[in-house]
Amino acid sequence: MSVLMISILFALAGALIFTLIGLVSGTDETAIIVPFTLLVILLGAPPEAVFSFFMAAVLSKHLTHAIPTALMGVPGDTTAVPLIDHASALRRLGVPHVALRKMLSGGLIGAFIALPTAVLFGQFLGQFADFFKSASGLIFTLAAILIAYFSKGKWVSVLMIVPFAFFIKSIDMFSFSVVEKHLSISFFLGIAIGPMFSDILVSLSSSARKSLVRSAPKEYHLAPEVKGWKGFFPNPFKVLTGRQTAHTAATSFVSSLTFAFSPVGMTSLMGEIVGSRNKGVYKKSTSSLAAMNGVTESTYIAEAIIPLLAFGIPLSPVALGPASPLFNAPPVFTSDPVNNLHNMLTPWEFFLYGLIGLVIASIIAYPFAMNYARTATVFVMKHISQEAIVGMFIGLACLLAFHEAGLVGIMLTLTMATVGGLLNRVLGVSSGVQFMIFYGSTYMITKLLGA
Amino acid sequence: MKTEAVVKEAQVNTSKQEYIEILGDTVVPSRILLAVIISVIASIGGYFLGKSIFPQIAEAKMVSSYSLLLGIGGSVIALIICSKLFKPSRILMEEETSSEGLEEILQDLQADAKSEYELIKNDPVTKKEMEELGILETFKRSGERSQ
Repeated sequence: MSVLMISILFALAGALIFTLIGLVSGTDETAIIVPFTLLVILLGAPPEAVFSFFMAAVLSKHLTHAIPTALMGVPGDTTAVPLIDHASALRRLGVPHVALRKMLSGGLIGAFIALPTAVLFGQFLGQFADFFKSASGLIFTLAAILIAYFSKGKWVSVLMIVPFAFFIKSIDMFSFSVVEKHLSISFFLGIAIGPMFSDILVSLSSSARKSLVRSAPKEYHLAPEVKGWKGFFPNPFKVLTGRQTAHTAATSFVSSLTFAFSPVGMTSLMGEIVGSRNKGVYKKSTSSLAAMNGVTESTYIAEAIIPLLAFGIPLSPVALGPASPLFNAPPVFTSDPVNNLHNMLTPWEFFLYGLIGLVIASIIAYPFAMNYARTATVFVMKHISQEAIVGMFIGLACLLAFHEAGLVGIMLTLTMATVGGLLNRVLGVSSGVQFMIFYGSTYMITKLLGA
Repeated sequence: MKTEAVVKEAQVNTSKQEYIEILGDTVVPSRILLAVIISVIASIGGYFLGKSIFPQIAEAKMVSSYSLLLGIGGSVIALIICSKLFKPSRILMEEETSSEGLEEILQDLQADAKSEYELIKNDPVTKKEMEELGILETFKRSGERSQ
């Protein structure tokens, strides 16, 4: 089978799986995209197919997470949080379906603008790659300090950098003495599932559980949906007004270049800018939603592609979170020394296989979300319990850790999930900071202790 | 006040079911543990099964990939089993179209009904879109009323 066909098949798989996962509200991107991408890599998919899979997964998930955001007023995931206010304004006006359509159309436009922009910009930045690669340890350390300061924990996150690096190196040394190889997938998975794992731990602790106890199940209010067009594939340019298309395109373009900033931050910022230029409740909300959802797509896509294409080392919030397996998934991909998609794909191939992923996701997720939003939401809400979902992700993480290093892998993952998850939940040291410390730990401990 | 709080706490403790919130949704504590155990056993069980049967039927270098696939199969089966065993603890309310008054909504959004309608009148694109949705009339009425 040719690489092209394999890539199309993997993109299809990614689009189908993540179209469904996107319907589950509140799912954390890192915890969900990381295990699946790792699976695809470890199954031996060619690098082109891995990239198509990832692109299809990201776009599909973002398109369908607009459904809980618009119809229930519950953020589909963290990047959807800034959209909630505008979405609920339209919901209260009785037109949640309009919020959904504007978001979907904006997202689609944003994605297709981000891909070529990111590939070109990444190629331009590539001339500085040697500098970045030779100084990667130092860059990771500095970046860890910077993003630690901007995380929820602020100074405590900065304070935790050295102890956490020491902790990582210590369990790395111990596991090395048992299995005689340095592990990294197990570390990754631990950081990724940390937040949900620590919730489970807290619920088991008789002293700590009070913070999570609820006396009643969570209530969801599902708004009605009105189909207002004919056919199956509504034209996004007709859903948006000309002015909205222009605003969405402009903000998506700009946010494709600012790859080092947080996607949530960029989404809020661009939403504010577009909102201030459109007056009137209805117009402001619809325009902001289209632009903001465009920005969540474009930041995600650009933040994965630019560091990958230009440096091969993860230097953006998305590259440290959901896209991290594209940089580092030993033995297939490594980021130190750089041996990942950076070396394996040309800029043209990044564009081509990225496009395959985006087109397939658009064909599947976009009409699905436009036509079956309500039916699908009702099905998921009534039949798929959160217990089953959380269970599946912890099961997958254990499977992958076991695949890497047997029982040692599982223990390492659960230890990381416990420590990382509690640091994240209690002290506000976010997963991005933890990933960055993981990358910089060797450099930091060598410099500090000479070990 | 004190006694009231105590009574409330007692009610929570004696009520039939306690829920905990994980990743933004409520679950039953004992079920989530069981679900995790079932999923871990199913996925690693699938992996072990693959490791023991594939060496006889597949090439040596593919054994590990196939075993991984069987492990994923196991976790998907676990998802289905857990969904059947544990019904979601959510309350889903299917709402009819909101019957809230527009004035109230606009007030919450700190907008003024009259200037809202003025803006819409002077913007043919938005006006047409709102007309097609059937919400233009409401805006028109509340705009005229507040004049």
